[in-house]
Amino acid sequence: MQCLRAPPDDLSILERQGACLLNWQQQDQEQPNYNPRGRGYCRQMQTSFQGLPSGCGGDKNANHGYVHGSIDCFSNGWPDLANIRYPVPGAATVEEASITNVSSNSSRKRKADKSPRSKENGGGGKGESSCKRIKEETGGGATSETGQPNKKEAASGDASKKNDKPPKTDCIHVRARRGQATDSHSLAERVRRERISQRMKYLQDLVPGCSKITGKAGMLDEIINYVQSLQRQVEFLSMKLATASPLMNINIDNIFGREVQINPSCKSGSTAMTGMSSELLDQSCLRFDSLQHPHPCAGLDMFMDSSDLVLRQNVNPPVAVPDASFGSSFDVNGCSVWSTNLQSLYGVDFQQGRGAALPF
Amino acid sequence: MQVTEAFKHAFLKQMLLGFQASAVSTKSMGFQERKNAIKLSADVAMAVARGSRKWTRGLIAGLSEERQNRSFLRLILGEQYESLLKPCHSSWKIPRCKKIVRRSLRICWRKQKKNQSGVLARTLVEKRTQELKRLVPGGKSMDGSSLLDETLDYVLSLRAQVDLMQSLLTTFEASKLRSHSKRRLPERKASYVSK
Repeated sequence: MQCLRAPPDDLSILERQGACLLNWQQQDQEQPNYNPRGRGYCRQMQTSFQGLPSGCGGDKNANHGYVHGSIDCFSNGWPDLANIRYPVPGAATVEEASITNVSSNSSRKRKADKSPRSKENGGGGKGESSCKRIKEETGGGATSETGQPNKKEAASGDASKKNDKPPKTDCIHVRARRGQATDSHSLAERVRRERISQRMKYLQDLVPGCSKITGKAGMLDEIINYVQSLQRQVEFLSMKLATASPLMNINIDNIFGREVQINPSCKSGSTAMTGMSSELLDQSCLRFDSLQHPHPCAGLDMFMDSSDLVLRQNVNPPVAVPDASFGSSFDVNGCSVWSTNLQSLYGVDFQQGRGAALPF
Repeated sequence: MQVTEAFKHAFLKQMLLGFQASAVSTKSMGFQERKNAIKLSADVAMAVARGSRKWTRGLIAGLSEERQNRSFLRLILGEQYESLLKPCHSSWKIPRCKKIVRRSLRICWRKQKKNQSGVLARTLVEKRTQELKRLVPGGKSMDGSSLLDETLDYVLSLRAQVDLMQSLLTTFEASKLRSHSKRRLPERKASYVSK
């Protein structure tokens, strides 16, 4: 058995052995008669793996060797590599898959199993990898390769992009990149950093004007400014609403409340809420414009008048089908109730609203 | 990234309910009082519409610390108010084995001794993280990545809140204008007739 290439110096002996094994494995695929020796070497590697000092708690399966890291870390970015059983059910999320596809430096090493490999994507499986089992619930997911059992090894070699289907465990496995430290702490840290940088990317899309800023500190600065400005805006708008509300004598629930007839022309559908709500209010206001006679009820405010009249106008024509996006709260059949006691309506509505709207 | 329509609907509905509950339209309130009531109902509506998240719980907990808000909150939230106020924040600590924690701290400390290059950057980021924790409700008990998660959610909801309030404002003002013009209409008619 010969290693085709001298591995770099910064790798441990185990990794070099792994590299040699991987080379062997390639040869395995090309020349099947080498298989027995390869498998024997596999077993040797398994036993040597049991003694890994880097804090991996071993949990050896009878058929496969597994090395598990004992770090608790929350990562969703990496497919499971160590704990793969045959046949392999999916375990990573789509997000994981995309992340692993994106990570161009990740590489994976294959070990020959007892059962022959069904397929190999993209040629030989040379690569450096080190996997840690990280405790977390992982859902099922797809990776680019399916049905490939993997054994975890630390090895050096050429980087190749391979993703295996993670096994059906509730652990997350991380793969170290080439030339990077493989102990559990740095891996966990790297996972944590990846998560944070991913979230920073989302925030970069969200906060306007952040596309040019690259550093974490600068991004956080922008985020802080944005949140502060939004909060100030809310304050300012509430102040303006406070000035507007007494003049309007708002009794908005009369317009929006549980039983509102929605004008079929006022379709919200896919439009933004601002359009929708202002449309609806405008509709009721427009109808208010068309009314010529004052409402007989004294003491009611404008909006109540308008809504009452609006609804009375619309009672006779066939009831409009409530817009799907309004949900069940807008009951169209309640128009007839409007003419009855409004106070009781308030009470009923409020009860309904309170009961329905609390998803905590 | 946008909030869902369902969220907007629930938000609007809750806000109007809140306005009604706090009787914002009555003339007996002072300006400050009215403004605080509007802001309170807007915040509560946002939290209720969003559902159960760390920041929503933190927001409601923060709001309930002031005595004047409590009656409103109890009214709006009903029986869920008590369950929400159970201490589920920084007093909770993830149980960790001391030996493991000590060992990992030792390793990190050793690494830090060797590698001092990123200290400045790290302190800058630390400072800003602390600031962000102050801004996002309930942020004190969050760690780095979940803080960013909650910030993302919070920013989306804040935006929706601003949009909603702006649209309400424009609608009110528009209807006010119309009502004013309507009142002036008979006068104009009279003036035409007289001509």
